[in-house]
Amino acid sequence: MTDTALRFRISVDTGGTFTDVLVTGSDGRMTIGKALTTHARIFNGMREALSVAAAEIGLSLGELLAQTTLFTYGTTRATNATVTGKTARTALLVTRGFPDILVLREGGRANAHDFSQDFPAPYIPRRHTFEVSERTLADGTRPTPLDEADARRVIGEIAAGGYAAVAVCFLWSIADAANETRMGQLLDELLPGVPYTLSHRLLPVVREYRRASATAIDASLKPLMQEHLRGLEQDLRASGYENDILVSTTVGGVMLIEELIAAPIHTVKSGPAMAPVAAATFSAIEGLGDNAIVCDTGGTTFDVGLVRDGELTYSRDTWLGPAWTGHLLGISSVDIRSIGAGGGSIGWLDDGGMLRVGPQSAGSEPGPACYGRGGTEPTISDAACVLGYFNPDAFLGGRMTLDVEAARNAIAPLAGRMGRGIEETAWGMISIANELMIKAIHEITIAEGVNPRESTIVAGGGAAGINIMPIARELGCEKVVLPKAASALSAAGMQFADIVKEETATLITSSAAFEAARVTAVLDDLAGRLRAFLSTLGAEAATRAEIAFIAEARYLGQVWQLDTPIDDPRPLAAGDVAALVGTFHRVHERVFAVRDPGSPVEFVNWKARLRVALPTEAGRRRLAVANGAPPVAATRRCFFGQGAVETPIHRGADLAPGHRIEGPAIVEEATTTLVVYPGTAATVSPTGNYLLSCL
Amino acid sequence: MSETKPAIDPILTAVISNRIDGIVREMTNTLLRAARSAVINSARDFSCGICTADNELLACADGLPIHSFGASLQTATMCRLHDDIAEGDAFLHNDPFSGNTHPADHTFLVPVFVEGEHLFTAVAKAHQADIGNSLPTTYHVTAKDIYEEGALIFPAVRIQRAYEMNRDIVRMCEARIRAPAQWHGDFLAGLGAARIAERRLKELCAKYGKDVVKSFVTDWLNYSEQRMIHAVRRMPAAHVVNHGAHDPIEGVIPDGIPIKVDMAIDPEAALITVDLRDNIDNVDCGLNVSEACTISAVLTGIFNSLPPDIPKNAGTFRRVKMLLGDGKVIGRPSFPHSCSVATTNVADRLVNCVGAAMASLGEGHGVAEGGIGMGPGMAVISGRDPRDGSDYVNQLIIANNGGPASPRADGWVTYELPDGSGLTYRDSVEIDELKHPMRFHHVRLVAGSGGAGRFRGAPGGDVAYGPIDRPMTVIFPCDGQVTPPKGVRGGHDGTRAVAWHIRADGSTAPLPPATNITLQPGESIRGLDCSGGGYGDPLDRDPARVLHDVIEHWETVERAEAIYGVTLVAGGADGEPTVDADATTARRAALKAAHST
Repeated sequence: MTDTALRFRISVDTGGTFTDVLVTGSDGRMTIGKALTTHARIFNGMREALSVAAAEIGLSLGELLAQTTLFTYGTTRATNATVTGKTARTALLVTRGFPDILVLREGGRANAHDFSQDFPAPYIPRRHTFEVSERTLADGTRPTPLDEADARRVIGEIAAGGYAAVAVCFLWSIADAANETRMGQLLDELLPGVPYTLSHRLLPVVREYRRASATAIDASLKPLMQEHLRGLEQDLRASGYENDILVSTTVGGVMLIEELIAAPIHTVKSGPAMAPVAAATFSAIEGLGDNAIVCDTGGTTFDVGLVRDGELTYSRDTWLGPAWTGHLLGISSVDIRSIGAGGGSIGWLDDGGMLRVGPQSAGSEPGPACYGRGGTEPTISDAACVLGYFNPDAFLGGRMTLDVEAARNAIAPLAGRMGRGIEETAWGMISIANELMIKAIHEITIAEGVNPRESTIVAGGGAAGINIMPIARELGCEKVVLPKAASALSAAGMQFADIVKEETATLITSSAAFEAARVTAVLDDLAGRLRAFLSTLGAEAATRAEIAFIAEARYLGQVWQLDTPIDDPRPLAAGDVAALVGTFHRVHERVFAVRDPGSPVEFVNWKARLRVALPTEAGRRRLAVANGAPPVAATRRCFFGQGAVETPIHRGADLAPGHRIEGPAIVEEATTTLVVYPGTAATVSPTGNYLLSCL
Repeated sequence: MSETKPAIDPILTAVISNRIDGIVREMTNTLLRAARSAVINSARDFSCGICTADNELLACADGLPIHSFGASLQTATMCRLHDDIAEGDAFLHNDPFSGNTHPADHTFLVPVFVEGEHLFTAVAKAHQADIGNSLPTTYHVTAKDIYEEGALIFPAVRIQRAYEMNRDIVRMCEARIRAPAQWHGDFLAGLGAARIAERRLKELCAKYGKDVVKSFVTDWLNYSEQRMIHAVRRMPAAHVVNHGAHDPIEGVIPDGIPIKVDMAIDPEAALITVDLRDNIDNVDCGLNVSEACTISAVLTGIFNSLPPDIPKNAGTFRRVKMLLGDGKVIGRPSFPHSCSVATTNVADRLVNCVGAAMASLGEGHGVAEGGIGMGPGMAVISGRDPRDGSDYVNQLIIANNGGPASPRADGWVTYELPDGSGLTYRDSVEIDELKHPMRFHHVRLVAGSGGAGRFRGAPGGDVAYGPIDRPMTVIFPCDGQVTPPKGVRGGHDGTRAVAWHIRADGSTAPLPPATNITLQPGESIRGLDCSGGGYGDPLDRDPARVLHDVIEHWETVERAEAIYGVTLVAGGADGEPTVDADATTARRAALKAAHST
């Protein structure tokens, strides 16, 4: 490869059905490939999708891979395995006397009066849970060192029971890890080759349920994900790729494949975590500031995430499955709120006479009535269809035709019961879906103390264009971007993601008696671990690296911590502590609208986050600017709350930077439809994205 | 009552009710995360809601059942006592004789004005860690009256005028409440939650206009009533009398407290009438149930038997008529009887009694009785922390009363109590050990304890703990040691509660239901919690469920055979047993024949 040859960066997102490939050249050109996911050997589908992209660029697959400097892989395999229960047979080892940590969880449920559901089963069955005699206390003393005879007996049972993985979570292993560490040594000795996870190493935070849950999830994924990732690595190497292989993670970054072989839990929910990464980049590219709300609307769910001051926002309360009845992921992950509302959500009238939307969905089979696959329930897509927003003859760039009559027939009975017209009913359904989405956005922005009015909305997902403008208007957001790549926001995010690695430690200290020396030592240790990792990335990477420090803090007596950034952490002088406390007061006031300056501040967990920037040209390519009015391909009668309006229809392919379209209008893209409502406008940006605004 | 209300606007009602729900959730999030005491921020013992200016409950998303349904009594008191309510006011209310649940629930009332008109009152209620009682507990079971109980009482006292705090009130509380800094943090959090609602309700009215919002209120309550009418019409006409009882407590209520619920279902009128007048007079202890708790407990028992998405507000309540007596242990208490323990013990029995009465309507109706009693795992612990010399007082929420079986599902494991119904969070062992100088010896569930049935009750918990190196006082007002939670429609009863004092030498002594004990280092306390009652005949339980229960150690092989009539044999997947279908059919037939003779 000569210096003048094109270099490429590849990201591959393998979903349950499709494998999406995005190839970015050093000239900024993006090429997309798509193929069916091949679950038995993931590389087969990937090769097919890569070959499509390579052919479009004019290279062979081998040439493309040889000219690729970075390969990023995202997979839903871990998420799907946990959801479908196809994880390894895993034994859970806990402190004697406390066998029900995963059963009892932290309590809470969605509806106090709902007695129609069984209690959720623990992530590891009770019969696979083993108690071991040992005990450590909160102050790190160990009244009961690990009982080795008991431990050996339990390991014997595990060996006989055919377990493929072991999770170990002892009480207060985070205060003194000796018992857990010794347990690990015995597993190495007596069960060589069986992967295990120790809770204090994976997630050293207080609260036994969430630590045990993360530990169990991680261990149960190890056999599957280790084989999967190693297999992929072999196949890529055999095909001629020589550089780093990165894998996207749940903190919205990427990591070397080896790190994820060691702790595969970090790949869980990594797909949705990439959408805010894309949002941050698109908002920045368009010069719209560093606060963004990302809305990803699919067929069945609406996901919301945030970018605040250019940073992703994180949560330790991410559930696998529904809140309360799913399993707590425990690890820090990009905060994404998901509600059951999307293009397939069904409208219905309840027995009190109120119109409802969802949570039932027509899914992809049979799908909305307008898809003509036998669906008869009225969905949001059907509503958009009868309102004239979709092109029935060439939906999704001509890949599908729509059955408008079927959509009308699906909505007619509902309209009849309400005594309203079909269009009015459809408009009502979309209004209610908007409300559900607005509430979801409110909840996440409120929880993070973000003002939607000062943020940019980045819309993604196939159904995003139907209603993003009324939602933005309702929230008072004046800046809205619908990227050209809206339908593949997660894959786009992988192109922009940095290498991100976190280390955490627990050290509880109060501002009233701040243990500066110990805190400094903890931060030094965290930074040391990250630097050791950084050194494996090569000298050049260090020039693009930064380490941020965060204290998880609270007022004395509170139990839920807030992330408090530490500006200049080491060594912590008295003035630094005052600054840290001041930062906490500001964070608390931002999130809860009150501060309590008289209260001591308690610091619980300490986090260091390494970020290694991976410069990219993706999406920054400037396109030629158009002259004249945007070409109108056709007109259609559309309905926007009042009577029908003859509405101009634009094809995305006909538009160029500088074109401005005032509503009412429809823009038909190959993978999404943008509805430009009356009183709103869409402008094509120099990079080809749509900037939306209210008039 | 008129049956033909004007039709609601099906779209606008959905849109605005969603907004209102969002506002209450924002209140909840604010209070949960900003509060200081574990009972609020860990155990979630608080509730938020919105009442109309004419004192009808409009919304109470996510609130604890026992807290929520009587909130309008408190706003009515605020309106009655103050003829100068103005924007910027806030009131503190905790008086059980004028609408509050019990004195430990400090309630913040913020009247919301739009264009000069009082339109709503925001209500945030939170159980305090301490309220200045004569004993360090917010559940003072032995208090013979409110004077012995000792709490500061605030009958809708104005704490803010024009958004300015009345510091006198704050200082009074700080001078009289244990751990005053903790109280003050919770005070700010509760007030903040109500103020958040004020801000959002004003925004709502600004957007839609005051008149539209007013007509929404009418529509929403009518809509809710309509939902309830449909639900009641699906019930059979019936007149049911059900009895229950709180256990005797030596020296306090030697005969226990009998409970009588007289319920009439009139599907034609779509009305449920609950007559509680035939109950005993007030008792000289803290177990009297306030009017608010009586109303909430009855409604909880009813709602537990209805489709879960029926809104809970004044519209729905129009279809439940309650007849309450004055000066009754259940009903309207007479001054100065103590209602210190009004939200739990007798109220929990009342929730159960109503739910079981609903079950007698027929197959598919009602629920069994849920686990009751606040034993050692829900005790208030106090002492001095040797680590920093400070005093601590806090309620543990780590017990595990099992949930009741229903016609559709087994009991909810982390149910805790009928009045909270699983909404409350459980303590983390590690957090409790971090916050207090204590050590747990075990926390686990008891296999084979769930009340048997076609659907079975959830098992009870088993918890033991003690102090580390300084004495610790443990106070709890338990129930369920004598009368267990009942099964319904042929389901078996749940198990009883037990508590023991474990001395340093390992010897044990049983503890009475109402215990106030100081544990020395080396000593500990242990409690078994009640399990939930079963629903339906255990011999009708799906054998696959019985098999799963045995494999997962929820049930024992012996009980599978003897009570469920399921014969298990080797040969299942994974080395586990499997069901012998023929032997099971034969055994169930034999057991049914034996039962019927």
